[in-house]
Amino acid sequence: MKIFKGRIKDSQIGYFFILPAFIMLLLVIFYPMIISLIMSFSFESRSGHTLGNYTLLFRDSLFWQTLKNHLIFVGIVVFFHIIIGLSIAIALNTRIRAKLFFRLIALLPWTVPDVVAGITWKWMYDPVYGLLNDLLSRLNLIHSPILWLSDPKLALASIIFADIWRGFPFVMIILLAGLQAIPEELYEAARIDGSSGFQAFRFITVPSLKKLLIVALVLDIVWESRRFGLIQAMTQGGPGHLTEIFPTLIYKEYFQFFRFEYASAIAIILSIILLVVSFPYIKEITRGE
Amino acid sequence: MRNLGMRREQRIKMSLIYLFLGLTLIFVLFPFIWMVLTSFKTNAEAMSIPPTWVPQKFTTASYIDMWVRKPFGIYFMNSTIIASCTAILSTILGGLAAYGFSRFIFKGKALILGIFLATQMLPGGLLIGPYFRMLSKVGLFNTRLGLIIAFITICLPFCTWMLKGFFDTVPKELDQAAMIDGCSRLGVFYKIILPVATPGMVATIIFAFLLAWCDVLWALCLTSTHSMGTVTLGIMRCVGEFQIDWPMLMAGSIIASMPAIILYLLLQKFLVAGLTAGAVKE
Repeated sequence: MKIFKGRIKDSQIGYFFILPAFIMLLLVIFYPMIISLIMSFSFESRSGHTLGNYTLLFRDSLFWQTLKNHLIFVGIVVFFHIIIGLSIAIALNTRIRAKLFFRLIALLPWTVPDVVAGITWKWMYDPVYGLLNDLLSRLNLIHSPILWLSDPKLALASIIFADIWRGFPFVMIILLAGLQAIPEELYEAARIDGSSGFQAFRFITVPSLKKLLIVALVLDIVWESRRFGLIQAMTQGGPGHLTEIFPTLIYKEYFQFFRFEYASAIAIILSIILLVVSFPYIKEITRGE
Repeated sequence: MRNLGMRREQRIKMSLIYLFLGLTLIFVLFPFIWMVLTSFKTNAEAMSIPPTWVPQKFTTASYIDMWVRKPFGIYFMNSTIIASCTAILSTILGGLAAYGFSRFIFKGKALILGIFLATQMLPGGLLIGPYFRMLSKVGLFNTRLGLIIAFITICLPFCTWMLKGFFDTVPKELDQAAMIDGCSRLGVFYKIILPVATPGMVATIIFAFLLAWCDVLWALCLTSTHSMGTVTLGIMRCVGEFQIDWPMLMAGSIIASMPAIILYLLLQKFLVAGLTAGAVKE
């Protein structure tokens, strides 16, 4: 009887341990979140109906432009992160020398604050004094300087390139951890059975990595969708909103146009997208708890 | 004969891997090298056409100027105070919650854990507006305390999740043994779990520190004066100036990145373990 009582009490103690953090989260996340939600449904000047901001949003060409940029940016960046990250992880999981050296060097871009990554690339891209144009003209590939960040056709591509540089190491270390966990015997058995290298990759590597690939994919999509410092430092969304993605647009709507209600509506839409994207990851990782 | 062919094939394969890694190295290091080289140039040399690669006149003036001509001393102090307080607070609160998640079975546990994780996926843009208003209302706009509270939103869920992973690796038998000896739950946490999980705690504090250190969005939105600016914000403000002093900006960037680079490289293994904890266990 006593033991039974003790157990019930014990499980209740669990709540007490979580309570301080939970109250903190209520105050610093849920309360502002609800304010944002309410704000997105209210109209500042005119007394429009409650969905006013959202209907306005869907007729706003800047919103659609940003959505397009955002999808292109995140899509291409994440795609190359996975490709480059996986390739390097596979290369590092062979019997090469100086493994640790290569791994630490490859990790470097990810360790600097993204503002620093942004301004370093801005300086590389500088049309007159930058390294990139100088290198290309020394190699006789170009004859007049390329305006990497101000040419409307190139700006988004230039930013995407810088962000690919900045973010692939995260995917690399996650997948490398996964590769190292695959027992060597599996590959040996496959070799004895006479399967080719590609078959081993297709039927051993990919299935074993599946979970970690999903983790890397989801976290990378979420993180790149929140990328702010890099773009703010390089172009601030310009020229003419051509490199505008949601985080920079929300910032502008809040602190330059002072349209708080409108900004909230955009933020709510982005939040819903990110929660939907991350749902499989959250479900997977809390399974069995 | 066949063996010989295989060995040759193996050698070609290895050479290709080295070649690939070599190219990666160039791709990764290029911007860093340019950054370092620029920081040792004079401003006049950085503004020369065509650009020089190696500094013609090697100078460390930029590394002194950044403290004298720009308030980088204040920026560093602010960033250090804010990031440290955030890290310690988040780790204490997160540690208690993590112990709760790791050791107890209770109703709605998966759901609450899921909510903790989901908050990590929210964009900063969702919260900055309300924060701006809330902090202005209570007079915490443009203060360090305001930023610390704001950064807890980023760090607390992360710390909880990471520490739960570390606590899960400590055998439950230790708790039970201590409780039979008359230890309370809080006593077990304090006397048994914390000492055993010290490496994990240290790693978590450092990662929380770095999350706050590297951020720029919150500092940009929730401060307005140079005296409250953080390092990353100071660097970003330099980009907006009419005449950018690139050598000084690069020197500032290098110094600002140093803590992050060193700590991340030292602790990368812990981060992988923390982020993938639930996904690799069977």
